[in-house]
Amino acid sequence: MNAVSLENVSVSFFDRPILQAVNALFPAGRISVLVGRSGSGKTTLLRTVNRLNEEFPGCRTSGTITIDCGGGPCNIYARPNEGGLSLPELRRRVGMLFQTPNCFPVSVYRNIAMPLALTAGVNANDIPDKAREALAAVGLWEELKDRLDMPAERLSGGQQQRLCLARLLALNPSILLLDEPTASLDVHAARQIEDLLLDLAPRYTVIMVSHGLRQARHMADQILICEKGRLTGIIEDPARLDEEHLAERIYASDATDADASTRV
Amino acid sequence: MTRPLCFRLITAIAPLTAALLPACLLGLLAFLVFKGLPTLGMELFFGDTPPVAALLGRQPVWDGLWPACAGSLCLVGLTLGLSLFPGVGCGIFLAEYAPPRLKSLAGAAVDMLAGTPSIVMGLFGFTLILFLRHTFMPGATTCLLLAAGCLALLVLPVLIVGTREALEAVPQNLILTAASLGLTKNQRIRHVQLPAAAPGIWSGVILALGRAAEDTAVIMLTGVVANAGLPAGIGAKFEALPFSIFYTAAQYQSPEELQRAFGAALVLLLLAGGLILAARFFENRYRRRWQGSAA
Repeated sequence: MNAVSLENVSVSFFDRPILQAVNALFPAGRISVLVGRSGSGKTTLLRTVNRLNEEFPGCRTSGTITIDCGGGPCNIYARPNEGGLSLPELRRRVGMLFQTPNCFPVSVYRNIAMPLALTAGVNANDIPDKAREALAAVGLWEELKDRLDMPAERLSGGQQQRLCLARLLALNPSILLLDEPTASLDVHAARQIEDLLLDLAPRYTVIMVSHGLRQARHMADQILICEKGRLTGIIEDPARLDEEHLAERIYASDATDADASTRV
Repeated sequence: MTRPLCFRLITAIAPLTAALLPACLLGLLAFLVFKGLPTLGMELFFGDTPPVAALLGRQPVWDGLWPACAGSLCLVGLTLGLSLFPGVGCGIFLAEYAPPRLKSLAGAAVDMLAGTPSIVMGLFGFTLILFLRHTFMPGATTCLLLAAGCLALLVLPVLIVGTREALEAVPQNLILTAASLGLTKNQRIRHVQLPAAAPGIWSGVILALGRAAEDTAVIMLTGVVANAGLPAGIGAKFEALPFSIFYTAAQYQSPEELQRAFGAALVLLLLAGGLILAARFFENRYRRRWQGSAA
């Protein structure tokens, strides 16, 4: 089953094309990694799935994007009364983690409680339990259970990113969009996040942008190569290739601007 | 390689200019304290009237600052009451909801209002009353409400610009994060952007507060008098500290009276300082409430 499918998706900002006629399928319960040079449209591609591009002025999106959270495919642009999802509901189901940890400048607890109350409409009495579960899922509960009142900004970078992940997981999403989630972390914290994501992966559909070849190979079930706003190649099961071969494949695709349907 | 002379001159002078501001402030404070402190006491506030009776309004105070203090507090309170909601509301609208054309148009209007001298605002209030008297409100007269209304116009741009700039300075990634978590635009503004912009908005409020407390030109033409006693209502004449200082300094007949004007200046400074501290206190309390604790 494919959890996300993009058909002929183009995105432009103020008539400047960023993505052009992208077709892609992201299988459910697997990790898909987008690689490519800076400016190749990876982040924009990621943000089409939760319609976050529309938060920027001058954005125009065309094409069809469907997600399947277990209840059958659903066009993300359909209105709620036509069987679609409201924007808050779409974003609750399609969680996103950013490059830098973006904690709200409030306490650790409130970082999780606020979206729970506002987006998921969780009853105030149930919030503490859900917050505990989410913190436990990212391994922060033991570290922070006595310091929930602490401002989130005082946590280390790795802890902050795990808190952001906990905040997402508390909303009970089925698709996770990760935009270089370890880019701003040191090696140790990055490994911790990677392991955590690998643990969580079978329960979620993960679409991730990565700049690290090692990371992409280590984590991905499939690698999608972005080049100048198009998808130029897909590498299935990249762990079977060593890093050198993988770099060659990506680099070759990079140079020849191959057809989007190329399967390596 | 030697640096050019003008460069060396500037580097030598720069620290001096930085020291100038605190020096001026300290000098001013020392002067006021030196001149005003000896007069501080019950007599300065209440004259010959027993303080308790004066505080309860049972006996009028003829020779003290108490009615002026009460008048100033009422004036500042009423001014903020009239300007806070439209000022902050307009700031939020301009920062978040207004289409670009309206944004620049309203921005220009706010700038123009900010550039209006306070005496013009006072004249506006005065002519407004004249107009009303000649048309459908023959009984209209200058009063506390009119003065507060004109002062509100004067401080409105401070509140609007403060709110707008504070909201526009909220980091984009915070807003994007809130959006990605499914918060609607209104929820984002209410629960993330406004709290994050609160320090900036409070600074605007504090500036407006100080401005309302000190301005003399506006109230001079719109209802302040030298001897009104405690303000009897929003339709009545009133006394205010800045006007008391101005009036005494211009009309004093003995050195003691001048001394009392220094006392009044010190009291005004303390009052404004007190209001600012109170605003800071509320800001901190609000901040703590927003940052929240575990339930």
